[in-house]
Formats: sequence, C-alpha cells, structure tokens
Amino acid sequence: MRLKQKVATRTNIPTASMSDIAFLLLLFFLVSTKFRKEIGFKVLLPEARATERIVKTENLARIYINSKGQISVDDFLVNPEGVSARFKLKILENPGTIAYIKADRKVKYDYVDQVLEALRDAKAFRVIFATEFKKG
Amino acid sequence: MPILPKPKIAPEAEIPTASMADIAFLLIIFFMTSTVFMRDKGLKLVLPEKTDQIVKIGGERVIRVSINDAGEIFLEEENITSVVDLKEKIENRITEYKAKHEGKDPLIVIRTNVEAPYEKMIEVFDVIKQIPEAKAVSLASIKAGG
Repeated sequence: MRLKQKVATRTNIPTASMSDIAFLLLLFFLVSTKFRKEIGFKVLLPEARATERIVKTENLARIYINSKGQISVDDFLVNPEGVSARFKLKILENPGTIAYIKADRKVKYDYVDQVLEALRDAKAFRVIFATEFKKG
Repeated sequence: MPILPKPKIAPEAEIPTASMADIAFLLIIFFMTSTVFMRDKGLKLVLPEKTDQIVKIGGERVIRVSINDAGEIFLEEENITSVVDLKEKIENRITEYKAKHEGKDPLIVIRTNVEAPYEKMIEVFDVIKQIPEAKAVSLASIKAGG
C-alpha cells in the first residue's frame, strides 16, 4: 500500500487589485470632500425637536450671529443694513437663495429680528433657523 | 584564450506594486479623518412680503403667543410654564377655531420681546412646528415701551 504524498497547498491572496479598490475609495472621498471656506462665528445653536435636515445646501447663504450680537455674512462683519445689501445681490444672482441663520442661543431676540427685517427688505423670504436635534 | 561573450540577460523591469495599496489606504484614512460631513439642519420659515397695504385679520383668527423680556411664555394673557402644556393648548385652540369657521386655518403669531433670549423664541417655534395643523405662523417683536 502506498501512502499518499502530502502536497503543501499554497494559499494566495490576490493583492494586485487591492490598490485599485483603495484608489477607488480614495477618489470617492476626494470628490465628496468639500472644504468650507467660510469661517463665521463659533455659535451654540438652540435645540429643537422639529429640526429638519436640509438636503439642498447649494442655495444656502449663511448668516452668523454670535452671543454679543455681531453679525457675519461671507466672513464680513456687517450691520443689519449690510445684510440687506448683501442679500439683495445674492437674490439677484440666485432667486432661490435661502438665508440660513446661525444665531447663538443666548443672543437677544432683537438682533435676530433686525436681521429678519433686513432679509424682508432684500426680498429674501426663505429663511431657515439653524438648530440642533433635541435629545430625549 | 578566447573570451566568450557573456550571454545577454534581458534585465527585467518591475515596479513594486505590493506597497501601492498601503499608500492608497493611507491616503484614504487621511481623507476620511479630515472630512467633516456638515449636515445643515434647522427650522424652515417663509417671511411675509413687505407691503404698504395693511391686511386686517379678525381678532379671533389670531392665536397670540408672547414671550416677555424675562423669557416667560404667554398664550394670549395666560402664563404658561410647560412646553407640553403650550402644545396642547394651541392644538385645542386650532381645532376650536376650525370647527367654528368651516376648516379655516387660524394664524399663530409669536410675539417676542426684543430683550428675550433667541432660544425662547426657537422653543416656542419648535412647539408650533410640531403641530401639523398649524399652517400659518408669523413672527413679530415687542419693542421696549411699546
């Protein structure tokens, strides 16, 4: 009787296409990454249960209001008249512009009210108040 | 002694591709960690147009929610301490009004004192947003001394 000869099986993981996969993933991240240029202010947003996700972000124009009541649009420190002037131009360029108000939760309502009036003056009627999801 | 010419060996040109994947994955990790998915979220509102015309709305149609300078919330004249309470009361008022006026929508006005914190206004606006029947919402401000 003859014993079967053992043949060492060679295991191989094909690594040739590994880099293709990796580069594909890389490309995805490269394309999907958007570097935001605007700095704005650091604000603590108020919380709300009815917070909605905004899908279309191309039309958003941000207005920052910090806790001291300073207003920033396109990284310029402006007063309410400045907001109106800037939004008039934005509306001319893109009538679908939506004002995205990022105001600090502790700011006096006065400043927000002035910005809203300025937006009405500029005929920018579509407004979104930035909020965080409320837990619990 | 004749020297025999060396047999020519074609040099094999090779690019080492084994580490290519490592490089690529390293780059991926860099992009993954540096990418911040900024999800924009918030509460939507459409502002009314500015007109010289004064539109009169019947007093009964308006549901007034007011916030004073201390951040206290009032529904008409009644002080409200809990947000859950406010939601129920507004809902009741809407159904009441609708039953009386053949399904017409009442108008909810949030009147905020200019000295009140913005947070309070959002709190009230959030409550109204959670009521599906509340279709017409408008914002107003109460200026000091007026």
